[in-house]
Amino acid sequence: MVQILRLIGGRILLSLLTLLLVSLIIFAAVEVLPGDVATRILGREATAGSLAALRAQLHLEDPATLRYLRWLGGIVRGDFGFALTSARPISVILAPKLFNTLILALAAFLLYLPLAIIPALIQAIRRDRPVDHGLSVVTLVLLSTPDFLLATILLFIFVMTAGLLPSMSIVDETSTFTEYLRAIALPALTLAIVMAAYAVRMLRDNLIEVLDSEYVRMAELKGLSRRRVLLRHALPNALIPSLNITALNVGYVIGGVVVVEKVFSYPGLGSQLVNALQLLDYPLFEATVLIAAGFYIVANMLADIGSILLNPRLRSGQ
Amino acid sequence: MTTASVSRPRPSGWQQASRLWRRAPRSFRIGAVILAFHILAAAIGLFWTPYGFSQLFTGAPLSGMSWQHPFGVDQSGRDILSRVLYGGHIVLLLSISGTSLGLVIGATIGLLSGYIGGWLDEILQRVLEAIISIPFIVLALIAIAAAGPELAGNPLLIVLVVALVYAPRIARMARAAALDIVTRDFITAARLRGESAWSVMWRELLPNATSVLLVEFALRAGYAPVLIGSLGFLGFGMRPPMPEWGLLISENRAALITNTPITVLGPGLALASLVVGLNLFTEGLARILGRSVQIGQR
Repeated sequence: MVQILRLIGGRILLSLLTLLLVSLIIFAAVEVLPGDVATRILGREATAGSLAALRAQLHLEDPATLRYLRWLGGIVRGDFGFALTSARPISVILAPKLFNTLILALAAFLLYLPLAIIPALIQAIRRDRPVDHGLSVVTLVLLSTPDFLLATILLFIFVMTAGLLPSMSIVDETSTFTEYLRAIALPALTLAIVMAAYAVRMLRDNLIEVLDSEYVRMAELKGLSRRRVLLRHALPNALIPSLNITALNVGYVIGGVVVVEKVFSYPGLGSQLVNALQLLDYPLFEATVLIAAGFYIVANMLADIGSILLNPRLRSGQ
Repeated sequence: MTTASVSRPRPSGWQQASRLWRRAPRSFRIGAVILAFHILAAAIGLFWTPYGFSQLFTGAPLSGMSWQHPFGVDQSGRDILSRVLYGGHIVLLLSISGTSLGLVIGATIGLLSGYIGGWLDEILQRVLEAIISIPFIVLALIAIAAAGPELAGNPLLIVLVVALVYAPRIARMARAAALDIVTRDFITAARLRGESAWSVMWRELLPNATSVLLVEFALRAGYAPVLIGSLGFLGFGMRPPMPEWGLLISENRAALITNTPITVLGPGLALASLVVGLNLFTEGLARILGRSVQIGQR
């Protein structure tokens, strides 16, 4: 037990260190690299007066270390400072976007599971038959299709041709549940397909390996129904090695929302990131990036802690 | 009694090559054919396209598929096929040079870090781990933010961004390979001969890590067109009128409303088929070199 706690504690400390390094990298990349931040934001034609005003607003006269520590101190207290392009606090701007992105990611994961498991099951049962080869080709093509292209094609099929869904996934606090559902359907489907294409291949191979194993043969010989053998004996064992694929997919979703939210104009963290960069609103950009990276680090940490807890050798304290 | 040695005619280079080709995995062969087609098309597109890649009014704006314009015409009347053809060498050159630069930086850092070890390795690992924990596209956008708007659209910036995104991931693989090689005797021998870390890396580690690095290079090169396309699509990559494929898809997205999907699907087909080719090639290459690879890794 002590061993488990020590492992988990170490993992949490490591994640905090990584997060700290990430914050340093972001800050250094945007604010310390050569070139004046104020000139970069306002452009070459800016007057000396407006440059000085912006420098004062961003405290650019202070040394970089002091600015970094002040920024970090604020973040620890949940204060990200103010956006340049609108005088509102960054935390107020980002809170609803974060909520929207979380809803989108959740929906994507709910869609992802059946999209990954069902084709893999079909392929494993009909191994080396035409349907197996066909699905292999389909997953390879989907795997090679950039997410922005897939999103655009889905948009064309469901919105322009079938007219089933809105082309702009615009939601706000007043949106009803149905409106949310319609808005996130296509972005979530895009993300789910990309993730599933990545997982299906591995899941298929794992399933085939499990189906060839002795205990599955045993279950078959006991006279259990095919369905029961597949769903109760084979699938759970094939899913465990696929867990790390799902952890990688969490990482994908955090980057994938940047592109996919932009295609559907969905107001989440991803489109916020792109907008902040387009408007050269560096404080907002830095905060958004830090939150995105933070999510990935926390998700990875949880996945690792989960696998520590699931590891029977560690659990029994041997 | 001596047996007369029957001397078989030595197989010619061509015969050897064709035997190797027939023995190669099917994915490798299909991938290589697709890649050869893309390289050929890009080479042709560099010198000849049906219309100029930025020539206006070649046909009725926003028209769909026709014999004169197989990929349709965009809203300024530019022929999409010509744009896709001309864009080929841009996509290929940016991807290859970005990935190569990332390979050189990543392999150097990874091999040296794994060989030298100690606190330097420890620090480098933490930093690389931190960079890797920033998602691909986000890391690319940070680099673009750092470069500032002055450099926007500069092909050199895109090469640097691709290299920056890949180098830490390649370094991690190279380090793992180095840790494996370092335990062998010839490394100890080299160390005892008093060779410098640089020369050990160059003469002992690198030749033994070639297959790992080759597969890693192919894998990363397979995703580079998507990364470059995503940047172009978001408006942070190549600038109009350069016909980079992601940018083409973004430009013609508006035309979907007028029901000319081919203007988007044409460039999309080019991009997706290139990535399919690269992925198949990588999978086959990994099998030839006896490595396992997870295609589509991001």
